[in-house]
Amino acid sequence: MAKKSKNAVAVIPKKNFWTQIKRQKGLLLMALVPVVFIFIFNYIPIYGILIAFKNYKASKGVWGSAWLDPFYKNFVTFFKNVNCGRIIVNTLRIGISTVICTFPAPIIYALLLNEMKGRKYKKVVQTISYIPHFISMVVICSMLNGFCSLNGLFNDMRFTLGLERTNLNAGGTNFLIMYVLSAVWQSVGWGSILYLSALTNVDTSLYDVANIDGANRWQKMKNIAIPAILPTITIVLIMNVGGVLNSDYQKILLMQNSTNRDISETIATFVYTVGIQEGRFSYSTAVNLFQSVVSFILVYGANAVTRKLSPDNSMF
Amino acid sequence: MAKVKEKEVKSKIYIGSRTFDVILIIAMGLLSVIFIYPFLNVLAISLSGNGMIVTGQVTFYPRDIILEGYKMLFREENIFLAYGNTIIIAAGGALLSLTLTSLLAYVMMVPDFVLKKPLSYFLLITMFFSGGTVPGYILIRNLGLYNTWWALILPGAVSAYNVFVYRAFFKGISLELREAAKIDGASEFGILTRIYVPLAKALYATFGMMSVVGTWNSYFSSLLYIEDPKKQPIQMVLRRVVFASGIDNMTDTHEMITSGKMNQLNVQYACVIMTMGPILLAYPFVQKYFVKGMQVGAVKG
Repeated sequence: MAKKSKNAVAVIPKKNFWTQIKRQKGLLLMALVPVVFIFIFNYIPIYGILIAFKNYKASKGVWGSAWLDPFYKNFVTFFKNVNCGRIIVNTLRIGISTVICTFPAPIIYALLLNEMKGRKYKKVVQTISYIPHFISMVVICSMLNGFCSLNGLFNDMRFTLGLERTNLNAGGTNFLIMYVLSAVWQSVGWGSILYLSALTNVDTSLYDVANIDGANRWQKMKNIAIPAILPTITIVLIMNVGGVLNSDYQKILLMQNSTNRDISETIATFVYTVGIQEGRFSYSTAVNLFQSVVSFILVYGANAVTRKLSPDNSMF
Repeated sequence: MAKVKEKEVKSKIYIGSRTFDVILIIAMGLLSVIFIYPFLNVLAISLSGNGMIVTGQVTFYPRDIILEGYKMLFREENIFLAYGNTIIIAAGGALLSLTLTSLLAYVMMVPDFVLKKPLSYFLLITMFFSGGTVPGYILIRNLGLYNTWWALILPGAVSAYNVFVYRAFFKGISLELREAAKIDGASEFGILTRIYVPLAKALYATFGMMSVVGTWNSYFSSLLYIEDPKKQPIQMVLRRVVFASGIDNMTDTHEMITSGKMNQLNVQYACVIMTMGPILLAYPFVQKYFVKGMQVGAVKG
């Protein structure tokens, strides 16, 4: 993802900065509104993180609110919270099980698609597999909720297998299984696009040579296809590892209920519950900041490891 | 001719793996069924009679067809108002996003633009750091945008990522066109609107669709910022009906369910169908734009 630096050809000899500004006021005017937007909606919230260290009062604003004593008090409160350990473990459990299942699935799917003959059939299969990606989280969770209910699809399946109908919406284990399964279902097709476009760029003469050498399918997959997508695999893995704490809180909040909260409460849902529902702005922001910092370290660490193992594949 | 020969050679080599081909075709077919079966099941159950649902006899197609689920949904929830809200939010958001992103991307594309470097950093920083839920929420409150559609449209209007992708696209348009127009006395804004925008139709189609579908599908910012049920988009209606014990508040529906005239799933699935229906209907026409968008982002991002 490195940017190629182009040697810009200077048509006009370099002038004084202010004369240039004057000459380009049309361009500057055009950039003004979008820049103001980014400043307001991206930079002001970043500045707002300060309230993690303050006792935020809406009437006094971010700057006017008093500093906490000590300034890291909110972090101490979080780590001393009886639920803190459970929340962190939950976040890791959900994150790791999601990565373990959603990371390899699209790779296998793409490799299998790559082996398929019949372009039209392949195209149809591919197009169908993208559909779940376009469905909203509320719809996915509503469908899951229905399937797990007593008369739903999953219970119909249990019934045909001779099992009893039970409410699958209850309980932490069921929550985890449903969360991960639906994540795989929703992402496998769409996630394979990246790998497939890497596979279509493979030099076909490699396959011709392999055919002449009498390589079988498995050998061709192992020696041509997999190396071709290895850089993509690495980048996706780095991003997945970095995102392991970023559980999909929008989904969890929909699936969460009193019977599964022991398993489903993560850092991100905690940030929402404490911050927006209970109105403890400073505390919630502190917990959010903790998560962001750890995530940042994780991406950086994953990338450093990759750089050591295979320098060509690291992201930055 | 050459192709035919190539095929012959290949087929000889592949003879040993024919069985594998057959297995693969069947397996991929089954997998496709797993991808669409849930939708068919939801549609079938939304239209089926209570007796059939309770005994688990509904699979691909409706049995003992009843329309009560849809009737009750339309009577007790204002679906069309929610559709209207969603369309306004989606169209407004897409229009604003395309306009503002184009403006900034065009300026950033100009090779000798004075503030090019600082602006690049200004954008890059936003890709790595963000304020998070609560600082964003406080901002919206302070700006007085709470409980207005602006809270859903404005924050995401310009994103650094989109600016970079637009810029990459604009860079593909020959700079000579711009120089020629300048000599003819066109203003920068005129060059953007009369030369770049018409040449970037593919870009606008892709990003316009992505923006509309994204807005249609989003619920979380409405959950944060829109309190008034009359202003809420369609996803919030579905959330209410399925999760926030909405059925208990729909008195007639509740009565029909308890008396066994219909199943709770009738009305819940009817709402699911109404929410995802427009997206599924549009899907065959828009999916190629999305795939293109994904590939553009992967290569040039």
